[in-house]
Amino acid sequence: MADELDDYLRGGSEISHQYKRDSAPAPPIELDRLVLKAAGSLQARTPFKPHSLAPLAFAASVLLSLALVLAMVFGPQVKKPDDKPQVVRVRIFKSEQPRATPASARERNPALWLHDIDALRRAGRGSEADAEMRRFRSAYPDYIIPISE
Amino acid sequence: MDLEDADAGLMLRYRDGDAAAFAALYAHYKGPLYRYLLRHARNACAAADLFQEVWSHLIATRARYEPRAKFATFLFHIAHNCAIDYFRRDLNLRRVMPAHDAEATLLEAEVPEHQRPDRVAEFVEQQSAVLAAVAALPQEQREAFLLREETGLNVEEIARITDVPVETAKSRLRYAVRKLKNSLRPMQELEALRLRTYA
Repeated sequence: MADELDDYLRGGSEISHQYKRDSAPAPPIELDRLVLKAAGSLQARTPFKPHSLAPLAFAASVLLSLALVLAMVFGPQVKKPDDKPQVVRVRIFKSEQPRATPASARERNPALWLHDIDALRRAGRGSEADAEMRRFRSAYPDYIIPISE
Repeated sequence: MDLEDADAGLMLRYRDGDAAAFAALYAHYKGPLYRYLLRHARNACAAADLFQEVWSHLIATRARYEPRAKFATFLFHIAHNCAIDYFRRDLNLRRVMPAHDAEATLLEAEVPEHQRPDRVAEFVEQQSAVLAAVAALPQEQREAFLLREETGLNVEEIARITDVPVETAKSRLRYAVRKLKNSLRPMQELEALRLRTYA
Protein backbone atom coordinates (compact mmCIF):
# COMPACT_ATOMS: atom_id res chain seq x y z
CA MET A 1 0.00 0.00 0.00
CA ALA A 2 2.85 2.34 0.85
CA ASP A 3 4.44 1.68 -2.49
CA GLU A 4 1.17 2.44 -4.20
CA LEU A 5 1.05 5.93 -2.62
CA ASP A 6 4.74 6.56 -3.16
CA ASP A 7 4.39 5.68 -6.82
CA TYR A 8 1.53 8.11 -7.11
CA LEU A 9 3.39 10.90 -5.28
CA ARG A 10 6.38 10.48 -7.53
CA GLY A 11 4.15 11.63 -10.36
CA GLY A 12 3.43 10.28 -13.79
CA SER A 13 0.82 7.79 -12.58
CA GLU A 14 -1.93 6.63 -14.89
CA ILE A 15 -4.54 8.19 -12.59
CA SER A 16 -2.90 11.60 -12.76
CA HIS A 17 -2.53 11.28 -16.52
CA GLN A 18 -6.20 10.47 -17.03
CA TYR A 19 -7.36 13.12 -14.59
CA LYS A 20 -5.34 15.87 -16.26
CA ARG A 21 -6.51 14.71 -19.68
CA ASP A 22 -10.20 14.82 -18.78
CA SER A 23 -10.36 17.68 -16.33
CA ALA A 24 -9.41 20.96 -17.89
CA PRO A 25 -12.33 23.33 -17.39
CA ALA A 26 -11.63 26.99 -16.72
CA PRO A 27 -13.88 29.44 -14.93
CA PRO A 28 -16.36 31.28 -17.13
CA ILE A 29 -15.19 34.62 -18.51
CA GLU A 30 -17.88 36.36 -16.50
CA LEU A 31 -16.27 35.08 -13.31
CA ASP A 32 -12.91 36.43 -14.47
CA ARG A 33 -14.47 39.83 -15.03
CA LEU A 34 -16.20 39.88 -11.65
CA VAL A 35 -13.14 38.82 -9.68
CA LEU A 36 -10.69 41.11 -11.45
CA LYS A 37 -13.09 44.00 -11.08
CA ALA A 38 -13.43 43.31 -7.37
CA ALA A 39 -9.66 43.23 -7.04
CA GLY A 40 -9.26 46.53 -8.87
CA SER A 41 -7.29 44.94 -11.68
CA LEU A 42 -9.72 46.01 -14.37
CA GLN A 43 -9.42 49.74 -13.78
CA ALA A 44 -7.09 50.35 -16.68
CA ARG A 45 -9.17 48.25 -19.05
CA THR A 46 -12.61 49.47 -18.04
CA PRO A 47 -14.40 50.91 -21.09
CA PHE A 48 -15.35 54.55 -21.02
CA LYS A 49 -18.51 55.12 -19.04
CA PRO A 50 -20.39 58.29 -18.13
CA HIS A 51 -19.30 58.02 -14.51
CA SER A 52 -15.74 58.52 -15.75
CA LEU A 53 -16.68 62.21 -16.11
CA ALA A 54 -17.27 62.53 -12.40
CA PRO A 55 -13.78 63.87 -11.55
CA LEU A 56 -13.99 66.36 -14.41
CA ALA A 57 -17.42 67.55 -13.29
CA PHE A 58 -16.13 67.95 -9.76
CA ALA A 59 -13.17 70.02 -10.95
CA ALA A 60 -15.49 72.20 -13.05
CA SER A 61 -17.75 72.77 -10.04
CA VAL A 62 -14.79 73.81 -7.91
CA LEU A 63 -13.56 76.24 -10.57
CA LEU A 64 -17.01 77.75 -11.03
CA SER A 65 -17.44 78.22 -7.30
CA LEU A 66 -14.03 79.85 -7.06
CA ALA A 67 -14.86 82.21 -9.90
CA LEU A 68 -18.11 83.23 -8.21
CA VAL A 69 -16.34 83.91 -4.94
CA LEU A 70 -13.67 85.99 -6.66
CA ALA A 71 -16.34 87.94 -8.56
CA MET A 72 -18.15 88.70 -5.33
CA VAL A 73 -14.98 89.80 -3.55
CA PHE A 74 -13.22 91.75 -6.29
CA GLY A 75 -16.01 92.60 -8.73
CA PRO A 76 -17.88 95.97 -9.16
CA GLN A 77 -19.38 97.11 -5.90
CA VAL A 78 -23.04 97.88 -5.54
CA LYS A 79 -23.82 99.78 -2.38
CA LYS A 80 -26.50 98.27 -0.34
CA PRO A 81 -28.86 100.51 1.55
CA ASP A 82 -27.74 100.18 5.10
CA ASP A 83 -29.73 100.66 8.21
CA LYS A 84 -27.66 103.49 9.67
CA PRO A 85 -29.15 106.99 9.32
CA GLN A 86 -27.25 108.94 6.75
CA VAL A 87 -25.93 112.42 7.32
CA VAL A 88 -26.83 114.76 4.49
CA ARG A 89 -24.76 117.86 4.23
CA VAL A 90 -26.83 120.76 2.96
CA ARG A 91 -25.55 124.22 2.23
CA ILE A 92 -27.99 126.79 3.50
CA PHE A 93 -28.05 130.09 1.64
CA LYS A 94 -29.40 133.05 3.50
CA SER A 95 -31.69 135.32 1.54
CA GLU A 96 -30.11 138.52 0.31
CA GLN A 97 -30.65 141.52 2.42
CA PRO A 98 -33.07 144.01 0.89
CA ARG A 99 -31.39 146.83 -0.83
CA ALA A 100 -30.94 149.87 1.43
CA THR A 101 -33.32 152.63 0.82
CA PRO A 102 -33.51 156.11 2.37
CA ALA A 103 -35.44 156.21 5.57
CA SER A 104 -37.71 158.89 4.14
CA ALA A 105 -38.41 156.80 1.08
CA ARG A 106 -39.09 153.69 3.14
CA GLU A 107 -41.35 155.72 5.37
CA ARG A 108 -43.18 157.79 2.77
CA ASN A 109 -45.68 156.81 0.15
CA PRO A 110 -44.50 157.98 -3.28
CA ALA A 111 -47.84 159.47 -4.20
CA LEU A 112 -48.13 161.34 -0.93
CA TRP A 113 -44.50 162.36 -1.25
CA LEU A 114 -45.16 163.86 -4.70
CA HIS A 115 -48.25 165.62 -3.31
CA ASP A 116 -46.13 167.27 -0.62
CA ILE A 117 -43.56 168.34 -3.21
CA ASP A 118 -46.31 169.85 -5.31
CA ALA A 119 -47.66 171.71 -2.25
CA LEU A 120 -44.19 173.16 -1.58
CA ARG A 121 -43.98 174.41 -5.16
CA ARG A 122 -47.41 175.94 -5.01
CA ALA A 123 -46.45 177.66 -1.79
CA GLY A 124 -43.53 179.36 -3.58
CA ARG A 125 -40.90 177.25 -1.96
CA GLY A 126 -39.43 176.10 -5.21
CA SER A 127 -35.85 175.42 -3.98
CA GLU A 128 -37.14 173.17 -1.25
CA ALA A 129 -39.51 171.50 -3.72
CA ASP A 130 -36.54 170.80 -6.09
CA ALA A 131 -34.41 169.43 -3.27
CA GLU A 132 -37.24 167.21 -2.17
CA MET A 133 -37.78 166.07 -5.80
CA ARG A 134 -34.10 165.03 -6.01
CA ARG A 135 -34.48 162.97 -2.89
CA PHE A 136 -37.67 161.44 -4.36
CA ARG A 137 -35.85 160.52 -7.57
CA SER A 138 -33.02 158.95 -5.70
CA ALA A 139 -35.50 156.94 -3.69
CA TYR A 140 -37.81 156.01 -6.60
CA PRO A 141 -35.80 156.40 -9.77
CA ASP A 142 -38.23 154.40 -11.87
CA TYR A 143 -41.42 155.84 -10.51
CA ILE A 144 -43.48 157.35 -13.27
CA ILE A 145 -44.62 160.72 -12.21
CA PRO A 146 -48.05 161.48 -13.58
CA ILE A 147 -48.33 164.54 -15.77
CA SER A 148 -49.74 167.45 -13.83
CA GLU A 149 -53.13 168.56 -14.94
CA MET B 1 8.01 31.99 4.11
CA ASP B 2 9.48 30.04 1.26
CA LEU B 3 11.83 32.51 -0.35
CA GLU B 4 11.36 30.75 -3.68
CA ASP B 5 7.60 31.25 -3.58
CA ALA B 6 7.21 34.01 -6.12
CA ASP B 7 3.44 33.89 -5.69
CA ALA B 8 3.72 34.99 -2.07
CA GLY B 9 5.76 37.93 -3.36
CA LEU B 10 3.00 38.76 -5.82
CA MET B 11 0.47 38.63 -3.00
CA LEU B 12 2.62 41.00 -0.95
CA ARG B 13 2.73 43.38 -3.89
CA TYR B 14 -1.04 43.17 -4.23
CA ARG B 15 -1.41 43.79 -0.49
CA ASP B 16 0.61 46.97 -1.02
CA GLY B 17 -1.62 48.17 -3.85
CA ASP B 18 -0.25 46.56 -7.01
CA ALA B 19 -3.37 45.42 -8.88
CA ALA B 20 -1.27 43.94 -11.68
CA ALA B 21 0.24 41.50 -9.19
CA PHE B 22 -3.23 40.22 -8.40
CA ALA B 23 -3.94 39.74 -12.10
CA ALA B 24 -0.83 37.56 -12.36
CA LEU B 25 -1.84 35.51 -9.33
CA TYR B 26 -5.35 35.11 -10.64
CA ALA B 27 -4.16 33.97 -14.05
CA HIS B 28 -1.99 31.33 -12.40
CA TYR B 29 -4.51 29.95 -9.92
CA LYS B 30 -7.93 30.45 -11.45
CA GLY B 31 -7.88 27.11 -13.31
CA PRO B 32 -6.66 24.89 -10.44
CA LEU B 33 -8.95 26.60 -7.94
CA TYR B 34 -11.99 26.37 -10.18
CA ARG B 35 -11.39 22.68 -10.96
CA TYR B 36 -10.80 21.89 -7.28
CA LEU B 37 -14.11 23.51 -6.35
CA LEU B 38 -15.95 22.01 -9.32
CA ARG B 39 -14.78 18.44 -8.67
CA HIS B 40 -15.10 18.79 -4.91
CA ALA B 41 -18.61 20.31 -4.86
CA ARG B 42 -19.64 18.28 -7.95
CA ASN B 43 -21.82 21.13 -9.03
CA ALA B 44 -21.01 23.89 -11.53
CA CYS B 45 -23.23 26.58 -10.00
CA ALA B 46 -21.95 25.92 -6.51
CA ALA B 47 -18.39 25.92 -7.83
CA ALA B 48 -18.92 29.33 -9.44
CA ASP B 49 -20.32 30.73 -6.19
CA LEU B 50 -17.50 29.26 -4.13
CA PHE B 51 -14.93 30.52 -6.63
CA GLN B 52 -16.15 34.07 -6.17
CA GLU B 53 -16.35 33.60 -2.42
CA VAL B 54 -12.72 32.48 -2.17
CA TRP B 55 -11.34 35.37 -4.21
CA SER B 56 -13.58 37.85 -2.45
CA HIS B 57 -12.26 36.68 0.89
CA LEU B 58 -8.68 36.98 -0.30
CA ILE B 59 -9.33 40.48 -1.64
CA ALA B 60 -11.11 41.60 1.52
CA THR B 61 -8.38 40.35 3.85
CA ARG B 62 -5.35 41.24 1.74
CA ALA B 63 -4.27 43.99 4.14
CA ARG B 64 -3.61 41.37 6.83
CA TYR B 65 -1.70 38.97 4.57
CA GLU B 66 1.58 37.68 5.94
CA PRO B 67 3.45 34.95 4.05
CA ARG B 68 3.57 32.20 6.67
CA ALA B 69 3.19 29.46 4.06
CA LYS B 70 3.22 28.97 0.32
CA PHE B 71 0.66 31.13 -1.40
CA ALA B 72 -1.03 28.00 -2.79
CA THR B 73 -1.46 26.69 0.74
CA PHE B 74 -2.91 30.03 1.83
CA LEU B 75 -5.32 30.22 -1.12
CA PHE B 76 -6.52 26.64 -0.93
CA HIS B 77 -6.95 26.85 2.84
CA ILE B 78 -9.48 29.59 2.17
CA ALA B 79 -11.06 27.41 -0.49
CA HIS B 80 -11.18 24.45 1.91
CA ASN B 81 -12.99 26.53 4.53
CA CYS B 82 -15.48 27.86 1.96
CA ALA B 83 -16.12 24.32 0.75
CA ILE B 84 -16.61 23.07 4.32
CA ASP B 85 -19.23 25.77 4.87
CA TYR B 86 -20.92 24.79 1.61
CA PHE B 87 -21.09 21.12 2.60
CA ARG B 88 -22.47 22.03 6.02
CA ARG B 89 -25.21 24.09 4.43
CA ASP B 90 -25.90 21.29 1.99
CA LEU B 91 -26.00 18.70 4.80
CA ASN B 92 -28.42 20.79 6.84
CA LEU B 93 -30.63 21.08 3.82
CA ARG B 94 -30.62 17.33 3.26
CA ARG B 95 -31.44 16.73 6.93
CA VAL B 96 -34.49 18.92 6.67
CA MET B 97 -35.84 17.24 3.57
CA PRO B 98 -36.55 13.67 4.89
CA ALA B 99 -38.33 15.03 7.95
CA HIS B 100 -40.99 16.52 5.77
CA ASP B 101 -41.78 13.74 3.36
CA ALA B 102 -45.34 14.89 3.08
CA GLU B 103 -44.13 18.22 1.85
CA ALA B 104 -41.28 16.83 -0.19
CA THR B 105 -42.62 18.06 -3.46
CA LEU B 106 -43.13 21.54 -2.13
CA LEU B 107 -39.73 21.65 -0.45
CA GLU B 108 -37.94 20.32 -3.49
CA ALA B 109 -39.11 23.31 -5.42
CA GLU B 110 -37.47 25.57 -2.80
CA VAL B 111 -34.08 23.83 -3.04
CA PRO B 112 -31.67 25.70 -5.30
CA GLU B 113 -31.34 24.10 -8.69
CA HIS B 114 -27.65 23.31 -8.26
CA GLN B 115 -28.23 21.49 -4.94
CA ARG B 116 -30.87 19.07 -6.15
CA PRO B 117 -29.63 15.43 -5.84
CA ASP B 118 -30.77 14.61 -9.36
CA ARG B 119 -28.69 17.49 -10.71
CA VAL B 120 -25.62 16.21 -8.82
CA ALA B 121 -26.20 12.74 -10.27
CA GLU B 122 -26.46 14.21 -13.76
CA PHE B 123 -23.20 16.03 -13.20
CA VAL B 124 -21.46 12.79 -12.23
CA GLU B 125 -22.85 10.94 -15.24
CA GLN B 126 -21.53 13.59 -17.61
CA GLN B 127 -17.93 13.00 -16.50
CA SER B 128 -15.35 10.67 -17.93
CA ALA B 129 -14.63 7.41 -16.10
CA VAL B 130 -11.85 8.89 -14.02
CA LEU B 131 -13.85 11.97 -13.15
CA ALA B 132 -16.84 9.87 -12.22
CA ALA B 133 -14.56 7.79 -9.99
CA VAL B 134 -13.21 10.95 -8.35
CA ALA B 135 -16.75 12.23 -7.81
CA ALA B 136 -17.66 8.96 -6.15
CA LEU B 137 -14.86 9.21 -3.57
CA PRO B 138 -15.70 10.14 0.03
CA GLN B 139 -15.47 13.89 0.58
CA GLU B 140 -12.17 13.94 2.53
CA GLN B 141 -10.43 11.51 0.15
CA ARG B 142 -11.74 13.40 -2.85
CA GLU B 143 -10.38 16.66 -1.48
CA ALA B 144 -6.95 15.19 -0.73
CA PHE B 145 -6.69 13.82 -4.27
CA LEU B 146 -7.89 17.09 -5.86
CA LEU B 147 -5.48 19.18 -3.83
CA ARG B 148 -2.61 16.98 -4.91
CA GLU B 149 -3.61 17.02 -8.56
CA GLU B 150 -4.47 20.71 -8.85
CA THR B 151 -1.75 22.27 -6.71
CA GLY B 152 1.07 19.73 -6.74
CA LEU B 153 1.49 20.38 -3.02
CA ASN B 154 3.03 17.66 -0.85
CA VAL B 155 1.21 15.73 1.83
CA GLU B 156 2.37 18.07 4.60
CA GLU B 157 0.88 21.07 2.80
CA ILE B 158 -2.34 19.17 2.10
CA ALA B 159 -2.55 18.36 5.81
CA ARG B 160 -2.06 22.04 6.61
CA ILE B 161 -4.81 23.09 4.20
CA THR B 162 -7.28 20.59 5.55
CA ASP B 163 -6.35 21.14 9.22
CA VAL B 164 -5.51 17.50 9.91
CA PRO B 165 -2.35 15.63 10.98
CA VAL B 166 0.02 14.65 8.19
CA GLU B 167 -0.69 10.96 8.72
CA THR B 168 -4.40 11.58 8.31
CA ALA B 169 -3.82 13.42 5.08
CA LYS B 170 -1.52 10.66 3.87
CA SER B 171 -4.10 8.04 4.75
CA ARG B 172 -6.86 9.88 2.90
CA LEU B 173 -4.71 10.23 -0.18
CA ARG B 174 -3.67 6.60 -0.06
CA TYR B 175 -7.26 5.39 0.07
CA ALA B 176 -8.22 7.75 -2.71
CA VAL B 177 -5.52 6.45 -5.01
CA ARG B 178 -6.40 2.83 -4.25
CA LYS B 179 -10.11 3.37 -4.93
CA LEU B 180 -9.43 5.22 -8.14
CA LYS B 181 -7.17 2.47 -9.34
CA ASN B 182 -9.76 -0.12 -8.47
CA SER B 183 -12.45 1.87 -10.24
CA LEU B 184 -10.42 2.25 -13.36
CA ARG B 185 -9.02 -1.28 -13.50
CA PRO B 186 -12.09 -2.93 -15.12
CA MET B 187 -12.12 -0.30 -17.83
CA GLN B 188 -8.40 -0.68 -18.36
CA GLU B 189 -8.83 -4.46 -18.63
CA LEU B 190 -11.75 -3.95 -21.02
CA GLU B 191 -9.64 -1.62 -23.13
CA ALA B 192 -6.79 -4.12 -23.15
CA LEU B 193 -9.19 -6.88 -24.21
CA ARG B 194 -10.53 -4.70 -27.01
CA LEU B 195 -7.04 -4.00 -28.23
CA ARG B 196 -6.21 -7.71 -28.22
CA THR B 197 -9.44 -8.54 -30.05
CA TYR B 198 -8.85 -6.07 -32.85
CA ALA B 199 -5.10 -6.62 -33.02
